[in-house]
Amino acid sequence: MSAIEVRSLTRKFGQFTAVDGVSFEVGKGEIFGFLGSNGAGKSTTIRMLCGLLRPTSGTALVGGVDVSRDPEGVKRRIGYMSQRFSLYELLTVDQNISFFGGIYGLDRDTLARRRTFVLEMAGLAGRESSLARDLAGGWRQRLALGCAILHQPPILFLDEPTGGVDPLSRRQFWRLIDALSSDGVTVLVTTHYLDEAERCHRVALINGGRLAVIGTVAEVKQVFASRPIVEIRAARPVEAMQLLDAMPGVEKTSLFGTALHAVLKNTDVSVEELARKLRDAGIVVESIAAVQPSLEDVFLDVVDKSGSAA
Amino acid sequence: MQRLRVLVWKEFVELRLNPRLFGVVIVAPIMQLTLLGYAASTDVKDVPVVVADGDRSVASRELIDRFEASRNFSVIGSVTTVNEIEPYLETGGAWLGLVIPAGYGRALANGRPVTLQLAADGTDANSTTVALGYATALVGGYARDMVEASAPSHAAPAAIDPRIRVWFNPQLESRHFMIPGVLALVLLVVTVNLAAMAIVREKEVGTLEQLNVTPVRRWELIAGKLLPYGLIGMIDVLLVVAVAVFWFQVPLRGSFPLLFGISAIYILCTLGLGLFISTISDTQQQAMMTATFFFLMPMIYLSGFVFPIENMPGVIQWVTYLIPLRYFLVVVRGIFLKGIGMEILWPQVAALAGWGTVVLSLAIVRSRKRLN
Amino acid sequence: MRTILAVARKELRQIRRDRRTLMILAFLPAFFLLLYGYALNFDIRNIALAVHDRDGSAESRELISAFVNSGYFDMQASITSMRDAERLLDRNDARAVLVIPEGFSRTVTTGGTAEVQVIINGDNANTATTVIGYASSILRTAGAQYAPGGAVLSPINVEPRIWYNPELRSTLFLVPGLIAYVTMLMAVTSTALSIVREKETGTIEQVRMAPVGTFPFIAGKALPHFIIALGSGVAVFGASMLLFDLPMRGNWLTLAIALSLYLVGALATGLLVSTISDTQQVAFQIALLVSLLPTLMLSGFIFPIASMPAALQVITHAVPARYFLEALRGIVLKGTAASHLVPEFGALAIYASAALALASIRLARERG
Repeated sequence: MSAIEVRSLTRKFGQFTAVDGVSFEVGKGEIFGFLGSNGAGKSTTIRMLCGLLRPTSGTALVGGVDVSRDPEGVKRRIGYMSQRFSLYELLTVDQNISFFGGIYGLDRDTLARRRTFVLEMAGLAGRESSLARDLAGGWRQRLALGCAILHQPPILFLDEPTGGVDPLSRRQFWRLIDALSSDGVTVLVTTHYLDEAERCHRVALINGGRLAVIGTVAEVKQVFASRPIVEIRAARPVEAMQLLDAMPGVEKTSLFGTALHAVLKNTDVSVEELARKLRDAGIVVESIAAVQPSLEDVFLDVVDKSGSAA
Repeated sequence: MQRLRVLVWKEFVELRLNPRLFGVVIVAPIMQLTLLGYAASTDVKDVPVVVADGDRSVASRELIDRFEASRNFSVIGSVTTVNEIEPYLETGGAWLGLVIPAGYGRALANGRPVTLQLAADGTDANSTTVALGYATALVGGYARDMVEASAPSHAAPAAIDPRIRVWFNPQLESRHFMIPGVLALVLLVVTVNLAAMAIVREKEVGTLEQLNVTPVRRWELIAGKLLPYGLIGMIDVLLVVAVAVFWFQVPLRGSFPLLFGISAIYILCTLGLGLFISTISDTQQQAMMTATFFFLMPMIYLSGFVFPIENMPGVIQWVTYLIPLRYFLVVVRGIFLKGIGMEILWPQVAALAGWGTVVLSLAIVRSRKRLN
Repeated sequence: MRTILAVARKELRQIRRDRRTLMILAFLPAFFLLLYGYALNFDIRNIALAVHDRDGSAESRELISAFVNSGYFDMQASITSMRDAERLLDRNDARAVLVIPEGFSRTVTTGGTAEVQVIINGDNANTATTVIGYASSILRTAGAQYAPGGAVLSPINVEPRIWYNPELRSTLFLVPGLIAYVTMLMAVTSTALSIVREKETGTIEQVRMAPVGTFPFIAGKALPHFIIALGSGVAVFGASMLLFDLPMRGNWLTLAIALSLYLVGALATGLLVSTISDTQQVAFQIALLVSLLPTLMLSGFIFPIASMPAALQVITHAVPARYFLEALRGIVLKGTAASHLVPEFGALAIYASAALALASIRLARERG
């Protein structure tokens, strides 16, 4: 039995459909990434699965419990961490742990054990008396995670857990998630940091409330199986972009940081040909090579396709 | 039970770290009660009077002296003609203008009755009526004294000898009436605002959502706010009653335990109201404005605190039955001034208990953990 | 100038989106109109009277009628014992008890003096004083008809002339006060909250980064609230003129100046409050502390200042509503000219400047 089963889950707000017939399954111990831009429906979906929002239609089973019929039953089995790292600012690290431990009904020994575990995991041992509001971003993030898993829930929901946190802390955080997953905890995480999403077992891309793509990271990238992606670094990227767009073999181009990604229509087009055409036009090309598609490429492709379909 | 315990504990820890709020909650009620206890007096004293003495005789001087000697009046100016009174009244410098016409002294000496004009600033109708009453009584008393002094045998007995007795407040100290009222008011304002902010703050910060995801129950959430703030409210009750009794010397004729007990029910109502407001507001600003303008202000005016309910039109009197402050005012004034007990106050207590139950239930119902 | 307008426009947009606040802005003035128009007054009528008639004669019944016909008293109950009287007074079911002694009829018709008791509920001293006055005068008039010869012609009579408000309508006294009260409250709380909210959510950091001077920022934020409060005051005023015959005997310009000065002071107070609070909750409590109860109690709105103890009277000098009320009542009811109101205007101006200065200093210190 899957840890999370979602069938045609829908949520409407008046005339606006935020989540439109989404279906997927998450296996036990999986790290499942829920990707999409802001407003695509990620948070709405997660809140429905946590019992915070009633679905308009469809069903969802979390840990075997029907979310619509028994939201409180769901809450016993899950941990949740929101974008805002909801901690009590005026309570110390230790007090926050005691509080949430008490809320989840942990007895004294269990709480002591879990407290030590969480403090170590978060790297906050020795800082128990610091006020939550005095902690920097990364520490708060880990403390919030710790408070969410005090009661050792089998399923964990993380809604944009790395927002506004430095890259080092983000990497540290994901290592923690990996550790939890190997312990058998199912993790459903939403994020718009697509580089992080590469660390998920499976991902689902939500766009405009609908599930656009779902599968393992490798499967999802298959969409580019027959369409190579070429990364170009040029002195005048905008000009290069215009030139590339005009070329017959190129499907589309987009800016990736300081570089350009050009999606080729098929495998027949050669990289050398492109390079030559650019140099002929007088554009200095610093580097040009075929690259493995990233999730960001997939994401842009999906959004692009839905845009043209609409 | 453990959940409730940690919820209450958390509130206290948070409060301890919020010293300004603490001050506002404990210091402010005492300060307000003290200040307002002094201000809330409807007695009319030292009424500023300007005298237009057109006669300038010994007789007119005598009358003016009477006014000066009275603690009800304060003669602030003396002019000659009626027209000179106008600026005094216009600027509010004087409330009354006493006009003694020329020939006053001579008329009195010849046994002819005189009429004095008393110009009164009618803008403050209430105080004017009272001031006029005092002035008329003063002049009347002066006149009677004159008659008795000159010809005591001519005084024929009147048919009716009025014996007027005032119960509960023989010295007519308006403070005895107002201070218990201010007490109830201060408690209302402080506790409603405290409670109104309580849940909304967690909504705004996000910790409420976190709580909604846990197995915590709705009634536990409400009770977790009610208990700590209730304790603070009761401490406030002790403080303000102490100020009223020991500082203002308002006699407490009834039973203090009874007052304390009924205050607890009252606090439950006010906190419940605040919590309910919290559940229907999304931001702290909304909560505070709703509490103050939709609820507190109407309550202050319609509860009988200053304006007697008997004077209100029937329809509005019906509305006042919905206001908990109305009942508590009867209780607090009754226990302080009249020393009455449960046998008479039970309808008020029942009303307060009912109100509290309803509003708390509403708060619990509305604090849904899942949005629909 | 342009920055002021930009800040103001943003503020206005935020206000417009807050439907709850808009509702309150509309509800509040309407509520008060209803209130002082129909519900609130100090006039004392319909006094519940209980009668203990031990004589039961035609004369005693005539006396009772005199009370009822005066229009002030309502016959509530006829009782037969003093214990009943106690009960009625305890319960507030009666405000006065008239006790006519046995043998009343015989005594008054044979030229004697009968002792008529009136027991008055003294809890509300104000009401009690008035009731005493009514009762005494009724008894005196009634007594005069039995002993006309004994009615001593008083050598001195007093003829009261009521200026500005001949019918003694307390509405005229209360309306200006309510205008002052409502506008002050709204201005102080909305301004205080608006700035503290930016502090709490952190958007104030962005403002500090932007090249906006302290003054344009304050001015821009306060402008919409000023206009709203001003509009409210004017609307209330206009409606009361229409519905309740509130007169306007003075000069409109003078009124506008007074109201504006007052509002500037109120807004500055709100600003000042915002600089000493770091959370919205504290800001609100302090704003209330400073505006709600003091304006109600210490401004002369309901309780006359002259009757307060000296120390308190000194404190009232720091309450801007006090000056505004004097000015307002003067302008509206007495037609006082601006020249006579110089002290009030001066006081308001001083208050506003002081508050603004303090607020600016604190704000500048925060930014620095």
